[in-house]
Amino acid sequence: MAKIALRGLTRARELYEHREARAKELAKKGRKVIGYFCSYTPVELFTALDLVPYRIQGKVGKPVEKAGQYLESIVCPYVRSCFDLALGGEYDFLSGAVIPHTCDAMHRVYDIWAYYLKPPFSHSLYVPHMTHPASYEFFMKEIEYLKRNLELFVERTASEEDLLKAIELHNRNRALLRELYQMRQPDPPLISGTEIMWVLVAGMTIPVQEFNELLEETIKEVRSRRPKSEGKPRLLISGSEVDDDDLVRLIEESGADVVMDDLCTGSRSFWQDVDTSKGAIVGLAERYLGVTCPRTYRPGKAPQRFSYLGDFIRDWNVQGVILYTIRFCDTYQLDAPEMKDYVESLKLPVLYLEDTYITSPIGQWKTRVEAFLETIETRRE
Amino acid sequence: MAEETKTEPRQKTSSVKSTESAGKIRHIVKRMYKKAQQAKEEHKKIAYCMVMCNYEEILEAMDVVQVYTENYAGLCAVKREAEQYMQKAQAAGYSDVLCGYAQVGIGFDAWRHELGAMPPDAPDGGMPDPDMLLGCSMGCDPRWKWYQALGRYKDTPIYNMEVLMPPSDADFAAIKPYYVRYMAEELRGLIAFLEEQTGKKMDYDLLMSIVKQVEETRLWWRKAYDLRKAIPCPMSTQDHFVIFVPHHMLLTDSMTLDFYKGLYDELKQRVDNKIGVLDEEKYRLLWGVGLPPWHSMYILDYFLTFGAVFAAETAYMIPEPFDIPPDITDPVELIALRAYERNSALQRRGKEAGGVPPLAQAHLERIRDFSIDGMVMHVTRSCRAATMGQIFTRNVIRDSYPQLPVMFMESDIIDLHSYSEAETKNQIDTFMEMVGAYKKSQR
Repeated sequence: MAKIALRGLTRARELYEHREARAKELAKKGRKVIGYFCSYTPVELFTALDLVPYRIQGKVGKPVEKAGQYLESIVCPYVRSCFDLALGGEYDFLSGAVIPHTCDAMHRVYDIWAYYLKPPFSHSLYVPHMTHPASYEFFMKEIEYLKRNLELFVERTASEEDLLKAIELHNRNRALLRELYQMRQPDPPLISGTEIMWVLVAGMTIPVQEFNELLEETIKEVRSRRPKSEGKPRLLISGSEVDDDDLVRLIEESGADVVMDDLCTGSRSFWQDVDTSKGAIVGLAERYLGVTCPRTYRPGKAPQRFSYLGDFIRDWNVQGVILYTIRFCDTYQLDAPEMKDYVESLKLPVLYLEDTYITSPIGQWKTRVEAFLETIETRRE
Repeated sequence: MAEETKTEPRQKTSSVKSTESAGKIRHIVKRMYKKAQQAKEEHKKIAYCMVMCNYEEILEAMDVVQVYTENYAGLCAVKREAEQYMQKAQAAGYSDVLCGYAQVGIGFDAWRHELGAMPPDAPDGGMPDPDMLLGCSMGCDPRWKWYQALGRYKDTPIYNMEVLMPPSDADFAAIKPYYVRYMAEELRGLIAFLEEQTGKKMDYDLLMSIVKQVEETRLWWRKAYDLRKAIPCPMSTQDHFVIFVPHHMLLTDSMTLDFYKGLYDELKQRVDNKIGVLDEEKYRLLWGVGLPPWHSMYILDYFLTFGAVFAAETAYMIPEPFDIPPDITDPVELIALRAYERNSALQRRGKEAGGVPPLAQAHLERIRDFSIDGMVMHVTRSCRAATMGQIFTRNVIRDSYPQLPVMFMESDIIDLHSYSEAETKNQIDTFMEMVGAYKKSQR
């Protein structure tokens, strides 16, 4: 019997549940798939060289089996989980890995990854922590250096035109994602936070052209919806890496709508376009150094630094914020109290959750989430 | 108030020192904080700083008083006074697994903010309220992120500076020009910031002379350090963990050069007369990467009871050798080049050695050069930066020294909660048996 091609959200969920399937299929057909971490890797370079970008993810709830022999237990649990999966062979289809020097854990895992997994291609991309004018100049050079090494690996060069075409594809992708996110603005939202999670995770595993098709189908499907259950508390979730739907599903099953996010795997990874008016590399450097992760120093007090959060809260009519951090993440944990102050200054309640990722305490959180939703309900009354 | 939040009684936590030079440090530290407090009274500009950021000479040339906040946290831990500040930070919403130094520093300033005055009974009189905060990206993320977090309590101007650590497998010829250029620009940005804050102009001739003096200081420290290769070892890690203080915190002070010359003379005299840390040195150990357990430094002395001396360490390392190129006349260019050369030296040597990761390269060099029989690594719960990679380093070292005993000691730089003295001693007992067997097998 002929297999019916899945479309839209059904396809997204399928890819979410079997996130390496499509990349493996492409690798079998001879395409080179490059794994990468973080929202700071300029994946346009991969696309320009016909490489498939694959965002490396961990597996929430899966105990670490082999990585304990190589990584200390106090290391970022997300990084441990990713490395454990790689040691177990789950990333054997990758032809290479690009690990940006974004935080301490990412910086230090690079040598370990390259030493033990010996991918045919590996590269450490230094992403400046500062945002001085010289930081952008430096980052341009680092992007050019990554481009050069990728070109040596694939034995072809990417012209400015190739880069501009790739950027156009990725900008199109960002525009489609923003369009989808706008469908979360009505009350009730047309698409749930859980479904958004499926789409985002699916998109990290396939070529940008396929992701764009998936988004077009999904937008069409979602636009035709007529949801009814309005009036639920509307939440924003802010944090780092969330590549599993457990938490968002828990929140939504508890009676809230997750209508917006400020996550590495969410809006942070696509909100800004690449401006090519000054050239492709300049555009990439400016765009990627503009990612609003706490690992990059942005001068100013909280209202200035977190004003983008205030915009999200206003435009998506957010009524409560969940701050989610992964244990041992120093950069986020140093920002979290100030971020909490900021959100509370907007007269919104905040729930702070610290996750262990590998053994996510999802059961314990249910009670806390329910109590939080009651707080919001009381305020609304 | 202070008495309510203190949970640990004050007790002696320091280790036994073998040199007279080390014996001078406590006085030097007390004087350092006293001078900083006096400087505040005299309205001199005070900066909160992080060690090894490559800006010491610039601050000296601009007459800015340097207060090293990580090390103040270490002092609080030595005096078992850290807990009260950590509790303040945690009460303000900071995680209990956040960098212990940052917890103490944030707690200290949160408390100062709450009181509008110096926290009561602050060790050595406390850190004076700074006029500027100077973080840097080298080492770990909290070294710049911490100062940003202080924005909750003070409006002190900040200059956070990038100090680059090149990747281990880089094409060094390709990256060097733009790595050095970025570092130089960051330093120029700092100078512009300092000129604005102090109202003074940089004297570049003065800066150059300070850089030269600093390199001479480092030369003497290195000469002294190398004397520890002698058998018996004339100075232990217990001494090193205070000997580094003038270099890391008073690098540009007029007495620092003389201090390391004096250290060299003392160690030379000990080596010439075969005076070791122990009368009978049975084993030589390496304190591997991992910052010290400041709260219980005396645990290092327990190794002495087995005839074991820590002959070397890879924590608070001496900067790599650097020869000042005669053709560089701009001190800023010089500091930038020096930072690159030093921060890429282990990577380059590791690459030449066939792809040895830099951290493992540092350990392998010391194991070889200091005739090491066993290694202790300190797993510090709140300092991931100095802990991540320890197992990896041990694994890589095993390729060259398959039988070398390695002990992972678990506690923290500051926090006592994850430390058990009884368990640590049991672990040391077992480890020393292994070291004994290893040494026997090497004969």
